[in-house]
Amino acid sequence: MFKESLFPGAKPLTYLILGILALLAIMPFIYMVLLSLQTEAETFAGDPVLIPSDPQFGNYLDIWQKAPFARFFLNSAIVAGVITLSHLFFDPLAGYVFAKFQFRFKNVFFLLILGTLMIPFFVRMIPLYSMMAGFGWLNTYQGLITPFLMSAYGIFLMRQFIQPLPFELIDAARIDGSSEFGIYARIILPQIKPALATLGLFTFVTHWDEFLWPLIVVNTTEMRTMTTGLTLFNQEYYNQWQYMAAGSTVLFIPILLLFLFTQRYFVEGIALTGLK
Amino acid sequence: MKVVVSQDNTGAVRRVPMGLASRQALIAYIFLFPAFIYFTVFFFVPIVIEFWSSLHSDDTGNAFVWFDNYVKAFEDQRSINSFVLTLVFAISVTILSMVFGLFLALLLNQSFRGRTILRTILLIPYMTSAVIVGLMWRNILDPLVGILNKVLIAVGLPTQDWLSNYKEALWALVGITVWQAMGYNMVLFLAGLQGIPTLYQEAAKIDGANAWGRFRHITIPLLAPTTLFVSIISVISSLQAFAQAFIITNGGPAESTRFYVFHVFNVAFSEGKFAYASALTFLMFLAILVLTFIQLRVNRNGVEY
Repeated sequence: MFKESLFPGAKPLTYLILGILALLAIMPFIYMVLLSLQTEAETFAGDPVLIPSDPQFGNYLDIWQKAPFARFFLNSAIVAGVITLSHLFFDPLAGYVFAKFQFRFKNVFFLLILGTLMIPFFVRMIPLYSMMAGFGWLNTYQGLITPFLMSAYGIFLMRQFIQPLPFELIDAARIDGSSEFGIYARIILPQIKPALATLGLFTFVTHWDEFLWPLIVVNTTEMRTMTTGLTLFNQEYYNQWQYMAAGSTVLFIPILLLFLFTQRYFVEGIALTGLK
Repeated sequence: MKVVVSQDNTGAVRRVPMGLASRQALIAYIFLFPAFIYFTVFFFVPIVIEFWSSLHSDDTGNAFVWFDNYVKAFEDQRSINSFVLTLVFAISVTILSMVFGLFLALLLNQSFRGRTILRTILLIPYMTSAVIVGLMWRNILDPLVGILNKVLIAVGLPTQDWLSNYKEALWALVGITVWQAMGYNMVLFLAGLQGIPTLYQEAAKIDGANAWGRFRHITIPLLAPTTLFVSIISVISSLQAFAQAFIITNGGPAESTRFYVFHVFNVAFSEGKFAYASALTFLMFLAILVLTFIQLRVNRNGVEY
């Protein structure tokens, strides 16, 4: 339940403080968009400009030519997309097993998988690099994708949602002669759609934003993702702020829209598990 | 027919005919097979490889040197410096982002128009890629082309050169990270606040407690499990900060923002010392495991109300 108000007469003050902080939260993004419309001279003027005198929408066209930006965008979409689909298929599959099946070593397996939650990514980065080099998977989609195909967090979340589903549902399908995989795909998955939405959104955003691993596993320009591609404007084409801002905006917009339309799932997802 | 009584984690007891039980187990193993392969190949094997390689030398021949790399880590001034500054960073970020997060959550825990919109806006920085955040703030804070100095001049304040001052660069990164993380802490605290039964607040109100008294003696104690949870995950994630250093400061000036993961990244991928970098990784991994166990332990003996 929400409290009516913190103390009597708190409302005007609440609006004022939250308004200021909300402005602080989005001001840098507004500035980013303004910067992306400036001319190179304006970005470098000793006296920085806020409002571009003559908005350079051409900057948004230039970035696709200055660097293989379309390719970066495609790479990010492929990597984040495949990883998300893999999570949506395999996480609930394992979650279903842990929720509804009885078998030997069930708890051992479950604890082993949950234990991987304690292994942060940076712990795996060096050996994974060596392994990928060994497989010949540096600078490939396999190299970018395979370390993230499933997650203990996703399996746990899915198990929590599948557990309350009645056994009768499954038993009835078995009696009707449905295959075990059919039960999973046609009975279980449709029942947990909201949970799948949360899982899918979080997974997509996390891997759309992923930076460290693409930085390690890719060193050719054409296999860069959006995040690592953007840093090119920072390194090779030294400090072209207007392009960096335009590229950042292009990277930012899909996630912003996704977030604005589905923010309820994100807030619930964070509150539910405390994990991104 | 023989019957197996099985009990799952919820405590629900189910009677399963024996023939079905072994068939169930078979299906369970088949369905778990992808997970088994994935976690083995991409989690357990890498960690074994990493530990094994941390016991070898980086010099040609890669001789087996036992724990020499670990000993070296404790003697290497750069590694120690990097660990200490990362710890300072993590603790500062945690405290500040929790204070802001709790403050925002308290404000948002009232009923008023526009609540959802404000919550959404406050969460935007958290949803944004660390790369965008880094590039944006690097531009804003740039002493020459940055907008912040212009604003400071306009309002008559002294200009800043935080990013190029070794005493201040770390605090600039703390500020940026707090700015990004506070919305996340806000959502967690908001969930914690909503979990506190209103009963206690009502009772205290009737007994004449004022708003501050109710906050101090009811909200804070009952929020303790959330506070602990938020603080531990915040420390754990800040200890792994990387992109801020890579993008905004490149670890400088004078290595004053050489975050631990950034340090390990450079030792491995710039200097090519994979064995030493593996040992450094394991040391931080141990520190994080200790924190995780503290969290699990306290969660088990959590506060009851």
